[in-house]
Amino acid sequence: MATEIPGPQTQRNVLGGQTFGNILMIAVPLFAAALLLGVWEVWVRLADVKEYLVPAPSAVFVALSDEPGRYANAARLSLTAALGGLAAASLFAFILAVAMAHSRMLERALYPPALALKVTPIVAVAPLFTIWFGFGLAPKVLIAAMITFFPMLVNTVVGLRSVDPSAHDFLRSLDASRWQVFWRLRVPSSLPYVFAGLRIAVPLSLIGAVVAEFLSGSAGMGQLILVSNGDFDTPALFGAVFVLAALGILLTVSVALVERKVLFWHDSSAGV
Amino acid sequence: MRFENSGSPENPATKNATAVEVCDLSHRYRVGDRTVTAIDGVNLLVDDGEFVAVVGPSGCGKTTLLRAVAGLLTPSSGRVRVLGKTSRSARQDRALGLVTQDPGLLPWLNVAANVQLTLDITGRGADADKRVSELLERVGIGQFAAYVPGQLSGGMRQRVALARALAHRPRLLLMDEPFGALDELSREEMRLELLRVWEDERTSVVFVTHSIREAVLLADRVVVMNGRPGRVTAEVTIDLERPRSALLEDKPHYQELVSRVRNLLFAEPVPSNASGQVALGD
Repeated sequence: MATEIPGPQTQRNVLGGQTFGNILMIAVPLFAAALLLGVWEVWVRLADVKEYLVPAPSAVFVALSDEPGRYANAARLSLTAALGGLAAASLFAFILAVAMAHSRMLERALYPPALALKVTPIVAVAPLFTIWFGFGLAPKVLIAAMITFFPMLVNTVVGLRSVDPSAHDFLRSLDASRWQVFWRLRVPSSLPYVFAGLRIAVPLSLIGAVVAEFLSGSAGMGQLILVSNGDFDTPALFGAVFVLAALGILLTVSVALVERKVLFWHDSSAGV
Repeated sequence: MRFENSGSPENPATKNATAVEVCDLSHRYRVGDRTVTAIDGVNLLVDDGEFVAVVGPSGCGKTTLLRAVAGLLTPSSGRVRVLGKTSRSARQDRALGLVTQDPGLLPWLNVAANVQLTLDITGRGADADKRVSELLERVGIGQFAAYVPGQLSGGMRQRVALARALAHRPRLLLMDEPFGALDELSREEMRLELLRVWEDERTSVVFVTHSIREAVLLADRVVVMNGRPGRVTAEVTIDLERPRSALLEDKPHYQELVSRVRNLLFAEPVPSNASGQVALGD
């Protein structure tokens, strides 16, 4: 079915401005970050701030480069827990959202427990999870899932309901089955909302994993922060914070890139 | 005057059948704690292969009538038969095509895939590629097959909507103000396009519009609806030759028919004891 006529996306290249625009998109935030670190460095040196209070960025980078393996390992553990929790929460939220989008009665029945899960402070239940599931991956995944479940559920329910009525009428006029309407119309229509949910949930999942490690002391970025704090090793603590920030940005940008690919047809994909 | 070429050639048994038969149809719906009667005692007959336009002011229940025929709503009372069956079983036979004012294309599918979708759902996918490209050529968007709806103008989207509604060769095409959201030039173009396409596909058509000129240009018969609740107040047979073209609009007889329909539309209010048709235009 393909034709040789180029679509508007390819036509944009003709202007030649896209490559330059892309470089600028990356260069400007990098420059801003470098500027911030520069000001910080100068401030710490001029004001002679104590290292155990606020270390200079250079001291933080020394701490990071002294033990790269330690950070990489902790980051891997935290990331696994965060993404595992997010995946589990998304899957469970999708299944529940399908039920809730189909029946107002089910929505009413399931909403209160979902809300209760959301308002429960994870700090309160994390120790309990440690008692139940030990110090391994499981409690961390569970807490990351708990914290990301609600935004995924709410967005998926709204998404599955937000179907273009004209498109729905048309499919009905063809006597499409509920199954066909679901996969061909409802699920694709929900994707902009699902991605909006992911944009909220991705950073939350990382927070969930780190908080779980922090509270239970199991290995990962949270534990690294805990130990550095106990040692008064402030540069290492800042190093952990830097790594976490970088992970958060990386995950958010990844979601935005996937979103732009998947939602090429939707207005929201214009901006990241 | 009824059209000769009725019934699809591959199915001679359907000849002279009635495409749509609506008897004493009424529909009420609730708005808050009020009950609004959208249509009251509407009768409508559409022969097989006939092109019937329903004209009326906004809010006279034209859309309600069309949705009842399509089986998209269950009327409060009255009888709807489509091709001799309930609209539900006509739909199950994949005998209906629907084009609405908002095209309702799937924005993530390109033009060809939007048309292909009809064939997938109705299970008439044999030779699908050929049918899709043939239809896209026919509605004049052959070279836009790989575009997504967001890249097309309103008129072009409506062409896709027409192609996808015809893909499974429905015997009844239901059109609800299909050109209502288009600019005047695109409307003009789409009317002629529809005439051309209809000459080829020859399905029965119920065409809802609030444009008198559009109704007269396209239809074999114009049904006038009026009032709140809406009733059928008149009908006018359009005895203009086919195939029709834009030149028709200069003919005195065309203009005479247009003013006849206009006068019927703006005639004095319908007496409240009227039951269905009070005046027949012919």
